[in-house]
Amino acid sequence: MPDLKAKTLCALACAFLTILPTAAVAQDTLPVIAIPPVPTPRNVETDAGQTGVIGIQIADQIESDLRSSGDFMVVPRNTLKQYSPTEAGAPLYQNWTGTGASNLVTGYVQAREDGRLTVACYLYDLKQRREIARKGYVVAANEWRRAAHRCADAFYERISGAAGFFDSTVAYVAETGTRVAPVKRLAIMNWDATDHRYLTQGGTTVLSPRLSPDGERIAYVSFSGGAPHVRIRDVDGNEDRALLPQGTISFAPRWSPDGRRVLLSMAVDGNTDIYLVGLDGNYPQRLTSTPGVDTAASFSPDGSRIVFESDRSGRQQVYVMNSNGSGQQRISFGAAGYASPAWSPSGDRIAFTRATPGKLQIGVMRSDGGEEKLLTDGWQDEAPVWAGGRTVLFQRTDPQSTHAAIYSVQITGGQPKRLTTPQPGSDPDWSGGSE
Amino acid sequence: MRFAAIIFALAVSASAAIAQPFPQPLPPGAYPPGAYPPGAPPAAPVVPLSVLQADLKAQSGSDTVRFQRESYVLDATSQQVLARQAQWLLARPWIRANIEGHADGRLTRDYALALGERRAAAVRNFLLAQGVSPGQLNVVSWGRERPTSAQLHDATWLQNSRVVTVLKQAPQQQFGPQPLPQPDLPNYR
Repeated sequence: MPDLKAKTLCALACAFLTILPTAAVAQDTLPVIAIPPVPTPRNVETDAGQTGVIGIQIADQIESDLRSSGDFMVVPRNTLKQYSPTEAGAPLYQNWTGTGASNLVTGYVQAREDGRLTVACYLYDLKQRREIARKGYVVAANEWRRAAHRCADAFYERISGAAGFFDSTVAYVAETGTRVAPVKRLAIMNWDATDHRYLTQGGTTVLSPRLSPDGERIAYVSFSGGAPHVRIRDVDGNEDRALLPQGTISFAPRWSPDGRRVLLSMAVDGNTDIYLVGLDGNYPQRLTSTPGVDTAASFSPDGSRIVFESDRSGRQQVYVMNSNGSGQQRISFGAAGYASPAWSPSGDRIAFTRATPGKLQIGVMRSDGGEEKLLTDGWQDEAPVWAGGRTVLFQRTDPQSTHAAIYSVQITGGQPKRLTTPQPGSDPDWSGGSE
Repeated sequence: MRFAAIIFALAVSASAAIAQPFPQPLPPGAYPPGAYPPGAPPAAPVVPLSVLQADLKAQSGSDTVRFQRESYVLDATSQQVLARQAQWLLARPWIRANIEGHADGRLTRDYALALGERRAAAVRNFLLAQGVSPGQLNVVSWGRERPTSAQLHDATWLQNSRVVTVLKQAPQQQFGPQPLPQPDLPNYR
């Protein structure tokens, strides 16, 4: 009987698809997920509120995370049934097959004797009627959100095949003040804008934060002392030091994948070149030596190659080279300027900023320069960084308000989505996923 | 003891930026700039930087030179302005200056920093060729971080593509001979 019902639904859906082929093609490939409220065996008051309320919030968070990826559709909550905590591990499939969902998320939240919470979550394939992922966490009551992020990460990874990124941090530059007298502060927050902190207080202009691979340090550009130079600071501590001796103009920092060295650009007597520097700042290794501007270097994920921009051809273009500077080769050949390249975590793509008269846009290409594809169509979209294997974060400036904001866009396509930040923001960077 | 008191009084007056009466002009060639005369240091006024900057602007025509988009080439007008700036700086070798390069906001951030430095270096090299001492000049790039206009419009790029000569007084010269606000004092040439 349920099978018949499902078939009828499919028939209806298929008819719908044929009527609206263009709208349906993208949606057809997206998994549809049902996320009913997460129940609790006993409603208990905790530091973070009642467990019954936390259960609803956990379902909200998982839904919000999965939606933000753009890779899923979610069944409206109000059409879904409730279930009991014991059903979380053994769902009654006939209750869910009629919802149109291909996957079901269940779980429970339970208060422990020690004041902490047990959060469990399960992912089911409703067609094959089997469990395909489960996670369990014991967390402090006010850390339930992290458990929800981790559940969303696991489900995202199980279905999409790419690493989840919901339990990750974003560093950026918070912008206040006016355009002629801007106030810029280093800021860091969770992916969903919780736990927002400022790391500098705005007395000095700062740019380009880059989180180290372990997430404990930030390389950034500071104008303290007058000239721009790369500094390294702890995210949680007080250490903050210039990477190079005073008096050198340096910028565009990027970490090596092992976190032991920093790629940067040094400008000396009108010539900007790329250098690789150990964390002690000694013996910078010069990687480029052509006259003109070589900058915005970024490592490939295995650390063997470097992508960068150079105007040696007369205009900004993207080049690749080996990590010792050998084998420099141009890979962008479009009728535009190509700038600020970033190598994807999977190693096969490079995101870039494309400059045409009156417009800056974000695009991706294969790491050999092929299959160029534009992702955005803003007035000024720039500074791409990867957030996982399919998402690119970038900075968009609105010509009317003159404010910048941080957006994410899927490389598969779709509209860019704005990240929530308390103020206008620029220069995003992303910490890496949970696993 | 009295010497120390004088120093102290000078320090107080300097920090409070109270205008002192100008000292008697020193005989030409009495001592080179930066060297103290025998005995007590002269009671020289501290000329505010804003006055010096205004003087540089008045004498040179401008403290700013502008560039074509994405260019770092000094045109004839810029060269005339810089030649006069060089004369001004040559006459006051104890004054140091930041050569601050800027680029427009439609360039990517890193490239704007690189271009700002490239423009500033072009200006510095021109001033050096005019005989200005390298120790007087310090290259700084602001990239696109300090636009001149609050407008965010493609028409503003020419105003932002610029290099500004920003004077900094050498701190150790605080009690040494000071330039006077009147231009071209012969005994300092």
